[in-house]
Amino acid sequence: MSSDPYSAEVRALFAAPEHGGALDDALCAAVEDQGVRISLFATVAEGIATELRFQAWGCPHVIAAAEAFCAGFEGRAASGLLEFSASGLMQSLSVPVEKRGRILVLEDAVRSLGSVVRGASDY
Amino acid sequence: MTDRGQMIYLDYAASTPVDPWVVEAMTALMTADGNYSNPSSTHAAGRRSVEYIAHAAGQLASLLNTTEDTLVWTSGATESDNLAILGAAHYRRERGQHLITMRTEHKAVTDPFSELEKQGFEVTWLDPDASGLLDIEALRAAMREDTQLVSIMHVNNETGIIQDIQAIGALCRENDTLFHVDAAQSCGKLPIDLAALPVDLMSVTAHKMYGPKGIGALYIADRKGVHVEPLLFGGGQQRKLRPGTLPAQQIVGLGATAAIAQSRINDDFAHLTALRDRMWAGIRDIPGVMVNGDIANSFPGILNVSIEDIEGESLLLALEPLCVATGSACNSKSQEPSYVLRALGLSDALAQSAIRFSFGRLTRAADVDTAIDLYRNGVDRLRRLAPGHAA
Repeated sequence: MSSDPYSAEVRALFAAPEHGGALDDALCAAVEDQGVRISLFATVAEGIATELRFQAWGCPHVIAAAEAFCAGFEGRAASGLLEFSASGLMQSLSVPVEKRGRILVLEDAVRSLGSVVRGASDY
Repeated sequence: MTDRGQMIYLDYAASTPVDPWVVEAMTALMTADGNYSNPSSTHAAGRRSVEYIAHAAGQLASLLNTTEDTLVWTSGATESDNLAILGAAHYRRERGQHLITMRTEHKAVTDPFSELEKQGFEVTWLDPDASGLLDIEALRAAMREDTQLVSIMHVNNETGIIQDIQAIGALCRENDTLFHVDAAQSCGKLPIDLAALPVDLMSVTAHKMYGPKGIGALYIADRKGVHVEPLLFGGGQQRKLRPGTLPAQQIVGLGATAAIAQSRINDDFAHLTALRDRMWAGIRDIPGVMVNGDIANSFPGILNVSIEDIEGESLLLALEPLCVATGSACNSKSQEPSYVLRALGLSDALAQSAIRFSFGRLTRAADVDTAIDLYRNGVDRLRRLAPGHAA
């Protein structure tokens, strides 16, 4: 039984968050709740989220989840942002129960980004 | 398992490696060709164990400048604190039921006081000033005729702040109040002269000063009115104050630990001062970084720093392979900010960002330099990752 609070995947994502940072001239959504702050940035072309970036202030699980989301969602239809569920990330990253609320902040941020993308498309 | 080849241990306030000489002394009392007998046995081997224990008592007594018969062996500082606080309060409960301690004490002290509150005792919980120091005048104001016990630690385990136990003890003597000191962080590291200090009860432990875990002692002054009621019963050992078969090898370990500490206390202090000053000099220019406590009045083995707008848990992971603490190691699995730092007036966010670096005999300047680099890089990386940082 491991006493390490972080899985190998969380450690790897936290150590090298390749999607960390902001994107200039991109669509953006920011959410702050439960002591966590997350900003998401997206460039969308022809309905596809071509580039995703994040900024986060939170525990390692939050940073790892944000990185995993960005890495996993790039290239997918931006419309899917509105239906994003963080439950898969919670499982794959073995997020402890007491921290799952923080990962739901990421879910809120992704859906908020989806709304921003949809709003921009309407124009 | 941790890769010890890479880790840099800066958590000496939590525990220390056992000195090889101590291991050697202990091993001689554990193996078949050694002296493993029960010191309660009356045969020759048992009597030999008694001699070893007496020698160890002399070593610890010498370190503290007291006599052997003032020392009671325990399993460590937590048990010593419990025996002192619960035992003294119960012994003197007919005289009064008012007790005084500080909010910044270790849980091994605050929890027994909370237990006494449940039993009907009244406890005054004193707040420290912003540096963690006790205001002597606040203590004087809190003293009452029925105050039976004051418990204030010598060196705080989170901040390293050193309390003026001479002045506190003098005030207690004026009021005929017993004074207990948790010296888990100071024994063997700062000079302690119990022949001169107005201290009635003092808790010490081996594993904070390069000795084994599982052994400590409680000093009980040989003075009228100073006594504790036992917590354990059975066997009658140690004048019935703490019965049970004496762990001779552990006691010998504590004795050897004390002797080594006494021989190098000044060298250790100078070494720790140089390391602490080097660490602070290496990070003090980072925007938003601050010392928790007061370096000028702290034990140099501990440097506790907070930093603005950094999430503490992420900083701790970013510092790996450093082994450091976010607060008291006993409390580090909790998500709650340190109650000690909150009592100093820190916000939850600042308390949560706190890192305690604690140095020891085996810490090298190169280790500190690595810690400085990791701290600077970790802070920089997390700040660049935080919302609001420019693209």
